[in-house]
Amino acid sequence: MASSKLQALWNHPAGPKTIHFWAPTFKWGISIANVADFTKPTEMISYPQQVVIACTGIIWSRYSTVITPKNWNLFSVSVAMAGTGLYQLSRKIREDCFSDEKEATAASLEG
Amino acid sequence: MATAFKAFLNSPVGPKTTHFWGPVSNWGFILAGMADMNKPPELISGSMTAVMCVYSGLFMRFSWVVNPRNYFLLATHASNESVQLYQLSRYVKAQGYLEKKEPEAQQ
Repeated sequence: MASSKLQALWNHPAGPKTIHFWAPTFKWGISIANVADFTKPTEMISYPQQVVIACTGIIWSRYSTVITPKNWNLFSVSVAMAGTGLYQLSRKIREDCFSDEKEATAASLEG
Repeated sequence: MATAFKAFLNSPVGPKTTHFWGPVSNWGFILAGMADMNKPPELISGSMTAVMCVYSGLFMRFSWVVNPRNYFLLATHASNESVQLYQLSRYVKAQGYLEKKEPEAQQ
């Protein structure tokens, strides 16, 4: 019984023998690579790349629920992409915009 | 000409469907990659670029076998594949992976 269910999944037309499975599954790599880069110095973050990752994540989160059939795998990977992209952007923006203020006030206090 | 344009507008992968606008958003990857082409290669994230290369390769295949066949998505990912492979080559060269090793001890 369990093995026939597994077999049904294995032989599914969108199952692990097909590209319909592996292409969306591999999209998780983008979010995983982004998480791995969370500890990188913010100078190495690319604004265009992270804006695109966040925007495509948001757009595809929406689209994955309006296509037929709804694709929850695509929905979850898109939410993850949007989340990691927005976090990387917030790190870089905080460093570029707000830590400069701290340095400026520190310099003016000393002077 | 008008009928071809109308056929495009009403196509099952045309601009009235999500099959069109989703790939449009994916063009952002190509534009971002092109914007980063002139940046110093030390700033390139090797892991992200390598992931993009595999990701676009897989989706080129996906766009071909999906029903309905999505040529626009295929073109999108073929372009991204080129851009990301170029960035990956810049990264690899900057990291020194492709340099010939110096002969160690001359006997």
